[in-house]
Amino acid sequence: MAKRWLEISVGTLLVAGVVALLALALQVSGSHLNGADGHYRLSALFDNTAGLSTKARVTLSGVTVGEVIAVSIDSQTLMAKVDMHIDSQVDYLTSDTNASILTAGLLGEKYVGLSVGAEEEMLVDGDVIEDTQSALVLEELIGQVLLDLGKN
Amino acid sequence: MPKANLVEVKELYLSRGDRVIFDGLSINVKQGLVTAIMGPSGCGKTTLLRLMGGQLQPTRGQVLAFGQDLACLSRDSLTQLRSRMGVLFQSGALFTDLTVFENVAFGLREHGRLSEQELHDEVLLKLEAVGLRGARHLMPAELSGGMARRVALARAIAMGPELVLYDEPFAGQDPIAMAVLQRLIRSLNDQLQHTSILVSHDVAEACAIADEVILLGRGNLLAQGSPSALLNSTDPMVRQFMHGQADGAIPFHYPAPDLINELQTAAARADRQAARATRTGEVSS
Amino acid sequence: MLLDSLRRLGEMVLGRLLAIGAALLMLLQSLQVLPGPKGWQRLTQQLYVVGVQSVLIILVSAAFIGMVLGLQGYTLLKDYASEQAVGQMVALTLVRELAPVVAALLFAGRAGSALTAELGLMKTTEQLASLEMFGVDPLHRIVAPRFIAGVIALPILVVIFDLVGVYGGHLVAVDWLGVHSGAYWGNMQAAVSFSDDVLNGLIKALVFAVLVTWTALYQGYMCVPTSQGISEATTRTVVYSSLMILGFDFILTALMFGGL
Repeated sequence: MAKRWLEISVGTLLVAGVVALLALALQVSGSHLNGADGHYRLSALFDNTAGLSTKARVTLSGVTVGEVIAVSIDSQTLMAKVDMHIDSQVDYLTSDTNASILTAGLLGEKYVGLSVGAEEEMLVDGDVIEDTQSALVLEELIGQVLLDLGKN
Repeated sequence: MPKANLVEVKELYLSRGDRVIFDGLSINVKQGLVTAIMGPSGCGKTTLLRLMGGQLQPTRGQVLAFGQDLACLSRDSLTQLRSRMGVLFQSGALFTDLTVFENVAFGLREHGRLSEQELHDEVLLKLEAVGLRGARHLMPAELSGGMARRVALARAIAMGPELVLYDEPFAGQDPIAMAVLQRLIRSLNDQLQHTSILVSHDVAEACAIADEVILLGRGNLLAQGSPSALLNSTDPMVRQFMHGQADGAIPFHYPAPDLINELQTAAARADRQAARATRTGEVSS
Repeated sequence: MLLDSLRRLGEMVLGRLLAIGAALLMLLQSLQVLPGPKGWQRLTQQLYVVGVQSVLIILVSAAFIGMVLGLQGYTLLKDYASEQAVGQMVALTLVRELAPVVAALLFAGRAGSALTAELGLMKTTEQLASLEMFGVDPLHRIVAPRFIAGVIALPILVVIFDLVGVYGGHLVAVDWLGVHSGAYWGNMQAAVSFSDDVLNGLIKALVFAVLVTWTALYQGYMCVPTSQGISEATTRTVVYSSLMILGFDFILTALMFGGL
């Protein structure tokens, strides 16, 4: 009888471990249960990415549709090139889609926000988003305000 | 027909660190007899049993059991040899998480050659031999010291070994338990016709059941013979041990300078001065 | 005089190296043989002893630590008007550092010392020698299942610690201090990466599990077979384990998160 209890409790412990791991994955780290949907690549060039890091979210109307996989310097234009993976299901991004680097909250992290344009053509794998808005840098903003104040 | 030597020790030399435990010891244990190995504390009796069981290796010399040098055996051969031996450890060494039955059955289960029913009966017979068949479902923690030792004995003989080693079987036992163990060791040896080696310093108990006594001392053999031969021996060290004398060849006093020179009271100092004066007076006059 | 000190230092270092070598040999010899059918039974038994019996202390500690983190985190972040970030603070602190380290320290104290004492007692009562005489290798039969059980149990305990701690923080921050529940979980999910944070924390747990269990078993196996010897060995297990946990934590943190 004691043996039964022993085996049951050990089994419960193991199950609890697996459940906790799953809970950690979903609830705590917000991993997505990605199906075999796959994704396609898009790139965008920015003047200033100001702290955008890999694994940052890419959103459309606030909904996460992908993630940033690389941030590098484009040797030809000397601008920051951001490579992204977009869910394959999101295939309605027009060729004049805008990509902006936004901040989530005050202390929040940087993410890429997309907003769809009006063109007929859609972006496909390997395309480059041309309409971009760099991150707002505090110093530049203040500089701008001071300049405006100075003019008046 | 002279009896064969079941265990032979040849020119055994063993040291641990700086201490020499055995210095060229050579003894033989004859088959079928109850041999008692005795000696004062620290003479290496338990170490000798360990050597005979192959758990220790000699620095020099050989220890042979069943005609084979234990130090030269492969792991499998040693295991094979050990299955022909049974050991009763000083602390009983019952496996605390197994019942009495399972403890005795341990060796039989490990060697796996018996069916469950055969094993059951073997265990019961061995427990019956030590008088504890009714206690078979108890845990070692529930047994008294004497009972635990008897169970350990049943476990030691469970596989019908040809050689049984007893490490201080009488140590710390009450008179009844001692008598029971004596009876068991002797009768089992006679009935099952194996060889028994018992290590002890309980002279009376060991001599009562031993056919042969081996007395160790100072790293070597002091005397060997029948119990009565040793009891009547004229060797001072043998006499002192066998008759339990407080002072003799092994002195009572640990080496120390003269007592009168170590005392501190005024009276003692006065005595010393007086003694010195008398001595110098004698020399000069 | 100087020569003498140097000699003693050399002796000490050699002694330590020898001990590590002996410990390694012991471990390798224990794991040489795959457990047979009865081995699983023994493993289950040991999982109960080191795993299930440690759950209570882990649950209680995790709950309290999570709650303290929630409380302190809220208090500290309030100054920066960033109380909403308390969720990610609690989660990251737990998952990366506190859960593996604290759980391992508790494990060393509870399960580690128990393993040492048990093995030491088996050695003192000559049960290990007895097993040898029956042709059973005590390293395979006794040490191996305990080692494997420890290595499996601690990571599970750490994962449970993570979860309970996070919910403890939620209890304090959201239920008692009024942080928005959505913000608590949302910020946390954005900040905590499964592969970088949770898995690295688990790797730490695995490393600690090996260190603690190995130390506990080695000390028990090698102890002086007297009651004083057992008590000294048990103390050594807890002290050495604790020092190694903290030391390796630094090394692992530097490698995983510090970019050293």
